[in-house]
Amino acid sequence: MSQSRIALISTQIPLSSMLQLRLQSKGYQVMVVDKTTAALGAFYSDPPDLIIVDFSSPCIGCHDMLFMVRSDSFFSPIPIIGIFPASDEQESWEDFPLDDFVTIPFNFTELSSRITLSLSRIKRIFDNNPLTRLPGNTSIHRAIEESMGLPLAVCYVDINHFKPYNDVFGFSHGDEVIRMLARIISNTVRESGGGFSGHVGGDDFVFIVPRERAEQVCTTIINHFDQIVQTLFDEETKQLGYYNALNRRGEKEQMPILAISIAVVPMDSPTITHAARVAEVAADLKKLAKGNNGSSFVVDRRTKAAE
Amino acid sequence: MDDRRNELKKIIMDTKTLPTLPGVINKLNTLSNDDKSSVQEMARIVSADQVLSARILRLANSPSYGFYRVSTISNAMILLGVNVVKSLALSSSIFEIMEKNSVGLWEHSLGTATAAGIIARKLAIPEVEEITTAGLLHDIGKVIIGLKCVEQMPEIRRMIKMDELYVIDAEKTVLDTDHAEVGGWLSKSWFLPEKLSEPIACHHNVIASEDHRVKTSVVHLADVLIKASGFGDSGDSYVPPVQQIAWETLKLDESLLKEIIVELEDKLVEVKNFSLELQVA
Repeated sequence: MSQSRIALISTQIPLSSMLQLRLQSKGYQVMVVDKTTAALGAFYSDPPDLIIVDFSSPCIGCHDMLFMVRSDSFFSPIPIIGIFPASDEQESWEDFPLDDFVTIPFNFTELSSRITLSLSRIKRIFDNNPLTRLPGNTSIHRAIEESMGLPLAVCYVDINHFKPYNDVFGFSHGDEVIRMLARIISNTVRESGGGFSGHVGGDDFVFIVPRERAEQVCTTIINHFDQIVQTLFDEETKQLGYYNALNRRGEKEQMPILAISIAVVPMDSPTITHAARVAEVAADLKKLAKGNNGSSFVVDRRTKAAE
Repeated sequence: MDDRRNELKKIIMDTKTLPTLPGVINKLNTLSNDDKSSVQEMARIVSADQVLSARILRLANSPSYGFYRVSTISNAMILLGVNVVKSLALSSSIFEIMEKNSVGLWEHSLGTATAAGIIARKLAIPEVEEITTAGLLHDIGKVIIGLKCVEQMPEIRRMIKMDELYVIDAEKTVLDTDHAEVGGWLSKSWFLPEKLSEPIACHHNVIASEDHRVKTSVVHLADVLIKASGFGDSGDSYVPPVQQIAWETLKLDESLLKEIIVELEDKLVEVKNFSLELQVA
């Protein structure tokens, strides 16, 4: 098993150097951060597997930093353990987005067990897609069930002509496109004011936002994707607007530059009679969206339930 | 001598961050969180600062995200998200001692970015934003040398003044390397794409660039034009000649160059105002 990396945030040097030594002796790689301002930069450029935060001494900016870590889907699964001074007072846990805690004076064996448990728990309950770290199907189904009848829109995203791109440019570049689209969707949803983003698998994604924001979010996702996708092709391809690939019958065919289609299903529409209906409606809408050239989105505006 | 060069290279490989001007960070700090206009303002400030831009591109290209070639700030902001960019920017360290020449170099970099953009648009060269970014970052090596070679700086400055050398020649004599090579090392170790690292490494020696000679030529020309305009302070007192190979690569002629310079002079007034605005922040 590869070494797990632990980030230790503490302003108390005696405590942090003691912990660092003991954790290293257990085979962990330990990065000590003594300034919370520097911590986020360090996490973002080199994400740790687990974070330990010392609250037994003043920790300026710690809460904001932990909330920042938790609010980004890419970093939110990282387990965080807090160190607290011994006291009878119950902490208000809403202010501490933690997974576990120990109190001072602590027993090192206990801390070590809690670290092991946190790391194994995250592996066990990880529904998130390993490539994009977005929530997977279990979470998506739950989110769709919960939005039934509400003024929300469930939006299905996929990439047009993704398979030939994968065939011509290789899987690692295909994966890059998937990761890019995942970031674009989750950033846009989050920056629009929040919502749910999930990764069904392959090039299929789902996001859920309030109905009145859906068109704006779709437009931004499409604009951002169309901008980013330009960097994947050389000048010649961009000028032509297509590249050569083999189609399903093995014949040479001109493939357009990657684009996305989004099907928007309002959840308070009478066409949505049960949760499974959402995917069917989306599939119909997708066919319409794919009829357009380039990226586009289609909103379900039917007012009667289908027979 | 060789030891000094290798030692410096090793230091650069371990460099994870660089300081920037206090005004830039203060200005970013005052921007509110969820306001559309402040997001654009943030992009404008970040893409005017060589250190912040380099750090954000380093993150966007770092293996933990798995993107391979993010070379503009707007693409980095799309992929990383506004929150990540903002907190990364705010976690930057600042120059402890506000040196006069760090402001000069900051202005020189911003001016070169502006000039590179004007040249690329005028000559209808694709990827203007990438070229502008390369212009902004072209002297990042000078930031590192100023920071990591504190003992040698007086000697370098003395040679520039007394022996009337260009910065790059003084650096070579004292350090056995120069800011272009140092910038190239940093861009490799920070995973920056080649369309940025090559112009950075070759802006004083265009012929050495292979895959991105057009971009390198633009950055070289922009650097020379900004030195000639007297905008900012690159550290050089003399204006170097435009290299023949750059002139040929860009298929320049004098009337085109004249148009570029006229447009640049206009634009530099705006850039100067922006720079002053950040310095008082």
